[in-house]
Amino acid sequence: MKGYHLGELEELILLTVGILDQEAYGVSVLEEIKNQTGRKVNISAIHTVLNRLEDKGFLKSEMGGATEERGGRRKRLFTLSATGRAAIEEVKTLRNKMYDQIPPLALDFSYGH
Amino acid sequence: MDTKQKHFPPKWPDRFLEFYCTPSRLEQIQGDAYELFYMNLEEKGLAFARFRFFIHVLSFFRWNNIKKSNSTYQSYNQGAMLKNYFKIGWRNLVKQKGTTFISVFGLAAAVGCCMVAYLFIANIWFKGLHQPNKDEIYQLTYTAEGENGLVTYGSVGRPLAEMIPDKLNMIQRTTQVMRDFPILIQKNESYNQRSLYVDPTFMEMFVYRMEYGYPGALEDPDQVILTHELSDKLFGDTHPIGQELSLVTNGEEKLYKVGGVLADLHDMDMFTFDLLVNIETHPVSTDDIPLKDSWRDELWTFIQVEKGADIAQMEAGLISLTKIQNQVNPEKPYQKLELVAFSDLVYKVGEIENGVRDFLGLGPQILLGAIGLFILILAIFNYVNISVLMASKRLKEIGIRKVIGSRRSQLVFQFLNENLMVCLFAMILGCLLAGFIFLPGFNEIASKNLKIDLLGDPFIWMFMGGMLVSITLISGLYPAIYVSSFKPINILKGNQKIGSKSTFTSVLLTFQFTLAIISIVAGIAFVQTNYINSNRDWGYDSADKIIVNVPNQEDYLPLKNKLSALATVTEVSGSQDYVGNWIREEVLDFGQEKYEISLLNAEANYPELLGLQLKQGRLFNSDLISDTQESVIVNQTFLNQLGLEFPLSEKITLDSVSYTVVGVVEDFHTIFFQSAIDPMVIRASPDTTFNYLTLQVTDGSAETTMASVKKIWHETVPRGLFEGKLQTEVFEREFSDVEGVRNILLFSAILAVLLAALGLFGLVSLNMNSHIKDYCVRKVFGADMGDLSVKLYKRYLIIWGIAGVLGGAFSILIISNFLDSFFAFHSGVGVLPIGTGLVLLLLVVAGTVGSQIWKIVKANPAVILKSE
Repeated sequence: MKGYHLGELEELILLTVGILDQEAYGVSVLEEIKNQTGRKVNISAIHTVLNRLEDKGFLKSEMGGATEERGGRRKRLFTLSATGRAAIEEVKTLRNKMYDQIPPLALDFSYGH
Repeated sequence: MDTKQKHFPPKWPDRFLEFYCTPSRLEQIQGDAYELFYMNLEEKGLAFARFRFFIHVLSFFRWNNIKKSNSTYQSYNQGAMLKNYFKIGWRNLVKQKGTTFISVFGLAAAVGCCMVAYLFIANIWFKGLHQPNKDEIYQLTYTAEGENGLVTYGSVGRPLAEMIPDKLNMIQRTTQVMRDFPILIQKNESYNQRSLYVDPTFMEMFVYRMEYGYPGALEDPDQVILTHELSDKLFGDTHPIGQELSLVTNGEEKLYKVGGVLADLHDMDMFTFDLLVNIETHPVSTDDIPLKDSWRDELWTFIQVEKGADIAQMEAGLISLTKIQNQVNPEKPYQKLELVAFSDLVYKVGEIENGVRDFLGLGPQILLGAIGLFILILAIFNYVNISVLMASKRLKEIGIRKVIGSRRSQLVFQFLNENLMVCLFAMILGCLLAGFIFLPGFNEIASKNLKIDLLGDPFIWMFMGGMLVSITLISGLYPAIYVSSFKPINILKGNQKIGSKSTFTSVLLTFQFTLAIISIVAGIAFVQTNYINSNRDWGYDSADKIIVNVPNQEDYLPLKNKLSALATVTEVSGSQDYVGNWIREEVLDFGQEKYEISLLNAEANYPELLGLQLKQGRLFNSDLISDTQESVIVNQTFLNQLGLEFPLSEKITLDSVSYTVVGVVEDFHTIFFQSAIDPMVIRASPDTTFNYLTLQVTDGSAETTMASVKKIWHETVPRGLFEGKLQTEVFEREFSDVEGVRNILLFSAILAVLLAALGLFGLVSLNMNSHIKDYCVRKVFGADMGDLSVKLYKRYLIIWGIAGVLGGAFSILIISNFLDSFFAFHSGVGVLPIGTGLVLLLLVVAGTVGSQIWKIVKANPAVILKSE
């Protein structure tokens, strides 16, 4: 592991922001995670993580997209930065590499004896 | 907001969010919260949505989202403002060093006095409250029928303590406490010490810091625990543990070893004692006595209950204990047994007979509290006067602040802020004054052991905090509000005159002078009374006499014979009580009436030996047998109170024996001047045994004889406490008490005068500074010193006059009441104290104003009028 250390929720949210492309903000990330994984994450936790990821440089943000239900308030829309993209790649390759090293359990009949 | 929305998120959580959220994140967070609210509203309904909104607001309350004061524009501004207030305030204080000193010093002296008064009063009311188990400790009391209705007693029958664990539940431990005054003998010296005989559990129930040894020392019945003071007195610098001493109770001597020494109690313990002894070793415990009698031995019994135990539940147990006692001892049935909380004992002083605390001594508390308050009022008035004047030099600043947009509340706040700074300095200085000067002096006078315990005593912090706030507000509010009320236009135009001659200042000054006069009068009246009393004729000849005590009857005759044999002793007489001490009271029958009189039983030669002055009739004749059986001598008060003339035709009856009054003596003081002279009957008794011997010695040899008397006494009475003293010294303790009060009063009088003088000085000199040009112009035009003096003095002399009338009237009222409560014989508030008070204050006024006049006289008008 070289620089990109990501926590579990951080990784999840980073992926979600990637999926949502231009439309990622607090509530949409919340909904997307709920739809994709069934997990109910607290909205304030999502805000915290989003801010933290932005501080680390994985995300960029801009204000925009005011709607009626928000009382005319703008959203903070997040997009993946280049570093963010690299971080996802890195995590993915690392996972795959390690997964490949697991011996094929189904062929090892002698294991139980 | 769009009209399509029917419902809105709850208002309060929303406001809370806006309140705490940092502005840079508020928009996104609030937006998300709103969006979620409307989503929830659609899916689950209004109540749920509102609830979730509230939860969300709470969950956003995180460190990163919270507004920090230094990161926002608004609060930065306030911080700067505060900083500015402090800076300006500090500059003002430093610039006006003289007046600042007057204010701070005055307030500090007042704080110091109040501190001592507080400590003294707290010492009485908070005694024992430092005990960690105080909430679980209860004392057993019982109520029984007394002569005048029900009486509650603090001590209960001795066997009760053993039964408590069976009858009551939730009891952690029990201890009995018995007071006794055994004679303590150590290295051939004997002392009378206050001892508490306790169960060893006493040391677990009550927690004491040990200086030496360990709290469990009493488990060994041969060990005692001493207080710090007693250990110091007995052993000085040597290590006390293991040292031997013996205690004599009821004539039995018992040897003990010192097992522990308590750390200094600082007079804050509930019990007053010098040493703790295991109760098993007291003769009461060791003697075999029938059960019924042991119920009559009563002692204090304390229980410690488990934490959280309900006292109400113990009712049943207490009732059954009452029943047991009433069966065994039906002569004095208990009405009921009760548990009194340890911390309530002090409030029940008057209600519990024979309790742990028997008096509160309200008089000294009121006296000290009043002195503290006097000085505080003086100092605060000084400060108010000076700070109003000081503010007059800052009118321009006030005007500009107002023009720039300062609100009035801000100005008030600014002035209070400066006030707080002064008061804080005064507080710190006052603590130092109290701790290093006032308190040691007071402890010396009152033989107390008070100290400021900043670390262990939370009450003192509360007291100081309360005092700081109240002094700041009382002294600061008027000047702040007054000064901030001016219109900026008037100030800047220069039209605003601040009332250097305002009625308010005059009223405060009058009040100050009045207080000063009252305290001077109190001090001087007390000194005068003391002087008169110390020269008062005691009514008998006190010179060349020695009184010695006789502890046991069998020692009386041997002692008397041996002492008579001394070369310098010319005559010896025995008496039941001695003149100079309390004398027992008896009821006398005369005619149909009963009278309370003092009865002095003595040998026939006692009145003559004492040198009582015969008024009518004759003294006793030792050779007449009838004189030792049916004759008495009375004092003049006796005749006055009964309305009789000598010689009496009737006889008087004492104990159903009739006596003839053979002589009348002039009144004489048997007890100190605090009490009036009681009617007295002196009865000559046959030469049996008495409690005291009075020796007449040859001229001027009393002190030298004392040593040999003491030697003989100790030879004759091996295990006794020698209480011999000179007849001239019988009022020694009372005199030193009264002297202590006198010193306190003089101190407060001096302080009051000093404060009044300082205040006046500050006022006059500030006035002078702002009017110096006025006076210089007058001088240029030919006003001489006389004209200037009249102009300056007039106002202060009027104030002095009014204060003199008020102060004189009040002191006659207050001080004579005060003297009445102290002395039956006093000089009253006469011309001397009031006159001295007035003159002293006049001198102060003349001095302070005169110094300013001198300043004008010396001033060169050219220099002053030229400058600027």
